[in-house]
Amino acid sequence: MAAASPSDSDGSRAESREASSKWLDAHYDPVANIHTFSACLALADLHGDGEYKLVVGDLGPGGRQPHLKVLKGPTVLTESPLPALPAAAVTFLMEQHEPRTPALALASGPCVYVYKNLRPYFKFTLPQLPPNSLEQDLWNQAKQDQIDHLTLKEMLEGIREKAEVPLSVQSLRFLQLELSEMEAFVNQHKSKSIKRQTVITTMTTLKKNLADEDAMSCLVLGTENKELLVLDPEAFTILAKMSLPGVPVFLEVSGQFDVEFRLAAACRNGNIYILRRDSRRPKYCIELSAQPVGLVRVHKVLVVGSTEDSLHGFTHKGKRLWTVPMPAAILTMNLLEQRSRGLQAVMAGLANGEVRIYHDKALLNVIRAPDAVTSLCFGRYGREDNTLVMTTRGGGLMIKILKRTAVFVEGGGEVGPPPAQATKLNVPRKTRLYVDQTLREREAGTAMHRTFQTDLYLLRLRAARAYVQALESSLSPVSATAREPLKLHAVVQGLGPTFKLTLHLQNTSTARPILGLLVCFLYNEVLYALPRAFFKVPLLVPGLDYPLETFVESLSDKGISDIIKVLVLREGQSAPLLSAHINMPVSEGLAAA
Amino acid sequence: MAEERLATRTQFSASAESQKPRLKKAPEFPILEKQNWLIHLHYIRKDYEACKAVIKEQLQETQGLCEYAIYVQALIFRLEGNIQESLELFQTCAILSPQCADNLKQVARSLFLLGKHKAAIEVYNEAAKLNQKDWEICHNLGVCYIYLKQFNKAQDQLHNALHLNRHDLTYIMLGKIHLLEGNLDKAIEIYKKAVEFSPENTELLTTLGLLYLQLGIYQKAFEHLGNALTYDPTNYKAILAAGSMMQTHGDFDVALTKYRVVASAVPESPPLWNNIGMCFFGKKKYVAAISCLKRANYLAPFDWKILYNLGLVHLTMQQYASAFHFLSAAINFQPKMGELYMLLAVALTNLEDTENAKRAYAEAVRLDKCNPLVNLNYAVLLYNQGEKRGALAQYQEMEKKVNLLKDSSSLEFDSEMVEMAQKLGAALQVGEALVWTKPVKDPKSKHRSTSASKAANFPQPLGSNQALGQAMSSAAAYRKPPSGAGGTSQLTKPPSLPLEPEPTVEAHPTEASAQIREK
Repeated sequence: MAAASPSDSDGSRAESREASSKWLDAHYDPVANIHTFSACLALADLHGDGEYKLVVGDLGPGGRQPHLKVLKGPTVLTESPLPALPAAAVTFLMEQHEPRTPALALASGPCVYVYKNLRPYFKFTLPQLPPNSLEQDLWNQAKQDQIDHLTLKEMLEGIREKAEVPLSVQSLRFLQLELSEMEAFVNQHKSKSIKRQTVITTMTTLKKNLADEDAMSCLVLGTENKELLVLDPEAFTILAKMSLPGVPVFLEVSGQFDVEFRLAAACRNGNIYILRRDSRRPKYCIELSAQPVGLVRVHKVLVVGSTEDSLHGFTHKGKRLWTVPMPAAILTMNLLEQRSRGLQAVMAGLANGEVRIYHDKALLNVIRAPDAVTSLCFGRYGREDNTLVMTTRGGGLMIKILKRTAVFVEGGGEVGPPPAQATKLNVPRKTRLYVDQTLREREAGTAMHRTFQTDLYLLRLRAARAYVQALESSLSPVSATAREPLKLHAVVQGLGPTFKLTLHLQNTSTARPILGLLVCFLYNEVLYALPRAFFKVPLLVPGLDYPLETFVESLSDKGISDIIKVLVLREGQSAPLLSAHINMPVSEGLAAA
Repeated sequence: MAEERLATRTQFSASAESQKPRLKKAPEFPILEKQNWLIHLHYIRKDYEACKAVIKEQLQETQGLCEYAIYVQALIFRLEGNIQESLELFQTCAILSPQCADNLKQVARSLFLLGKHKAAIEVYNEAAKLNQKDWEICHNLGVCYIYLKQFNKAQDQLHNALHLNRHDLTYIMLGKIHLLEGNLDKAIEIYKKAVEFSPENTELLTTLGLLYLQLGIYQKAFEHLGNALTYDPTNYKAILAAGSMMQTHGDFDVALTKYRVVASAVPESPPLWNNIGMCFFGKKKYVAAISCLKRANYLAPFDWKILYNLGLVHLTMQQYASAFHFLSAAINFQPKMGELYMLLAVALTNLEDTENAKRAYAEAVRLDKCNPLVNLNYAVLLYNQGEKRGALAQYQEMEKKVNLLKDSSSLEFDSEMVEMAQKLGAALQVGEALVWTKPVKDPKSKHRSTSASKAANFPQPLGSNQALGQAMSSAAAYRKPPSGAGGTSQLTKPPSLPLEPEPTVEAHPTEASAQIREK
């Protein structure tokens, strides 16, 4: 398909056209109200009638109403509420006899609920964890009232800080209590045996002894206490238990349990651990520098998406093969397997609404969804072999069918130079006027330069003169003399004819107060009247702002305004320390007189 | 087994309804970690709003005992920039489970981000006691020591980290230490190893390329920059650096094509527009060059290189008054560069301000140690003013520099300069043309062999390719003095290097400084 349009160098446009030609839009419901993760999506022939259904462990809007939904085509077939949020949903064959209808397993909290024919069939609960023996002893003593509450608290505290086995919830809660609440708490709870329960964080399936498509599978559970459990499909007993250095988030398994298998577990500590059948502890470790957001195995390559917006490929021994940067954050990943053509590829849903399909490093296809895709699932749905089910952040459901003629070609994505290389540079244009001025400068450059220099000197001269004058006559509003460092600013309020004039005087010295200052107003007595044109300033404490208020009456009714000069003087000196010119506003009210 | 299943089945089907009544009877405690998996999933998807909602719920339910919820809340706080809050929450986590090295690591990280490097080191050391083999602790300790300027300790820790587990980041920090110490060779060693370890890391490739460029090993520099561009054809740094190398080789069209990519990715980059401007200058499209340089100057008004180039282009355009302004602005930012003063002197000469031009030349000669052009231009001016003795002194000075350059570097001399020098020598009738032509001729022949690189010698010293590949390419626009009798030949110097007029400063100290300010 890519070969059909080799002349089209515009990569992105070609891509979307290509994308639309590879996929048929089967269904899109932007308000399907499905909020879930890729781990909670499964496709299976639940009734054994050849019609594949979609199983959704739905968290509900805001994660408040967990439901189990089964969809047939675009419609919801059944919907049943769940007691707790589902962490994972898988389908698996649990027994050999006909008809071979797969069972559905739903992990939620500490339990796995198994459904057959969409009816509840079995509930597996994780075994209790062994309690701390010291803690057990303490509570036993408490039960027989051999120990007082404060001692109990101290001892428990000691266990919490040092012991390998963490405390039970009961003890932790007890440690948080105030003294007064302890007694009631102990009386209420002392007779109960202490329990430690963990929860399931992830789940997947592993073929038991045959590699066939329809062979029995074991369930593999990852738990919050850093363990992996393998369950027998018939008896639901624990076949194997492995421990990890971190809490597993994603699992990827290949092989058969009875023969040989490899298990990759991406953990919360940012590492991926690889285990084999005979190893109780991880054999290899991949340290990512960011958190993994998805783990998919394609043939022998482990593809990991990381929060650094990139896909990494690793061998089963933990050697890094390649890295591909993504244009946006990865939200979810899953495997695309086109059996008819023997193709396996990775799909990654990105925060910018794209779904990118990669075969190793090569981009095969980009789907642009109207909203960010949060879960992906590819497989047989209904009677159609290659169907892609996507749900979006807003709760939408999208179903696309891969055309039977579609072939993914490597390099169907971006090839050649980036498209930006073809765009023209945005060079600013120059106007006719600019050109004319250039010519003028060429002709009269020397004269222009001289004029400029002369004017510059004149300007500097004037500025210097004005500055000296201001300094000499203390015209500036800031006095820098060592004895009286002062700052002054004035505010005029009102519309007129009466204005309020507020002088803000501040002593900027660090320690020394200033005494004996006077304020004097100079103004045109025809235009303005002030109650006091001359008054004493109180002692100025350093740093404080002193507002000095006075009223100004405008006498003229002709809309004239004038300047009022404020002088700050020191007693016994005629030269002002500082001064300010206040431009009075025009009186907008009628003159009182 | 059948019975057992039956029993469980009934229990199961009833579980949803029966749970509530049971809760009331004997207060069961919720499992603390019930929703940790959900918090984590939201967190890694960067859906922080949803994450915070779940955390809040979980913390309410467990009365603040869920360590992981607090942990993630702290991580989110830190991402949002509330480092102090995050530190407090991580400390809470560390109290809840004192044996966990991870909590301590995060406490230390927050301390580090708050700039409390010493405190961070203490906490990291404590964490290291709990977990001996963590590369991350070693790496971060190393980074803390870098900020405390204890480079030896930093190196030790970073080498430890590499020993435990190799990461690109550790290599980068190690390379940085060597750069901070000014040890380019060692830095290159480290980056070489890093590139060996992860050959597709474009940042490593680019940095290594730039280091080679700084050392003048152009072949290797180009190789690594090219590799970086293969893996990431939109890498801004690599394109600029590679582009500036192409510019020095006169490959202006190719460089311009590459710059287009950057122009759409980082349209407001001053070095980019500077380089584009100089490409146009190289192609003799002066108006476009001025447009681009002015845009660069608008984006980075304090960058003296852009001002230098603007001065150069205006000199070429014979807009001496404008050139004077740009050059004197450049000198204000970079007062230590002889070439800037030389260019300023050229502008002043053309503005018929010989007094100040001489002062500028004097300053240029004082500052410059290796550029014969400065002396040559000065000599021409003196000669035109009839001061043959001074001209001769400068001429001899120039010969010294030429000889030095010939011995020490493989740089080519500009043909225009050589020609000019010969003419001046003849006019001065000094030391007989033969004597001094020899030194000059040598360079000349060399120059011819690689005639393409005309601008090469002069621009390169300027070129600040290293710092983000800013090339100050320059072209020489020489005007020839009529070589005849001591005519009034005027030289327009080839502007290859920046000059600043201190002469003006000396002449009217206050005024000069004020001029600068106005600009």
